[in-house]
Amino acid sequence: MAKAEKKRGSGEILGVLALLFILVGLYVALIQAPPDAYQGEVQRIMYIHIPSIVAAYLCFFIVFLGSCLYLWKRETRDDILAKSAAEVGVLFTALTIIEGSIWGKPTWGVWWTWDARLTLTALLLMIFVGYIMLRSLIEDEERGAVCGAVVGIIGFLDIPLIHMSVYWWRTLHQPPSIFRPDKLPWENIKWPLLWPLIINIVAFVFLSLYLLSLRIRVGETEERIKGEMLGGTA
Amino acid sequence: MGSWGFVLLAYGIVWLALVLYFLSLKNRMRKAGTKLSQLRSAGSPGKHEK
Repeated sequence: MAKAEKKRGSGEILGVLALLFILVGLYVALIQAPPDAYQGEVQRIMYIHIPSIVAAYLCFFIVFLGSCLYLWKRETRDDILAKSAAEVGVLFTALTIIEGSIWGKPTWGVWWTWDARLTLTALLLMIFVGYIMLRSLIEDEERGAVCGAVVGIIGFLDIPLIHMSVYWWRTLHQPPSIFRPDKLPWENIKWPLLWPLIINIVAFVFLSLYLLSLRIRVGETEERIKGEMLGGTA
Repeated sequence: MGSWGFVLLAYGIVWLALVLYFLSLKNRMRKAGTKLSQLRSAGSPGKHEK
């Protein structure tokens, strides 16, 4: 019980931190940061576009970890962690694609193009939507968890491909803004544009972890319900 | 649509989706909590009899 209270408390701290950084992040992104010299005001979409994909990558890394741990130890809590992170990751990936599309229209002239990075990100979304569907379709809990873990690990391998796609193929999408192998972040983006981006990345990381903590609590409660029902019929 | 129109559309969709997901999680948690307490209260007399 004390452990559950402690977990709940740390979840609430994450929520408060997320809210604080979101409020500061919105102010600096929409008011404080200067418009881009070439793109103008539209570039402000960057302050939610990059943080969204960072949050999605973090969630899918947690899916990868949870899946590996489940295949190794077969503990339900690792499966709940992976399943919960997949759901939150799907939300942030879908938002990244929508934001990118809205940013693409005024800058590229199209809502969507079959560019390598865009296509691989859409593939990532489809893999994890498939993961969630697979989990709901397989009735045998353990079999569903094993199949989900395999899909979760394979799905995560798409992320390095997405990140490097702008170097490996000729793409319309620009190279990475901050996580570049050839440049440090402040060498690529001027400081007045970089620090609002960092604040928004921190905000989205806290927000994704907070949503994940809530989703894990839902998963754990559902697991207890199953336990109670099995205990009742036994 | 002007530049700010695209910016506000993107921010509006993102924050609406995130708030809706947060509310749906809270709702799922409330429903699961209610069901669990119902099961526990229904099961507790039986456990005493055993």
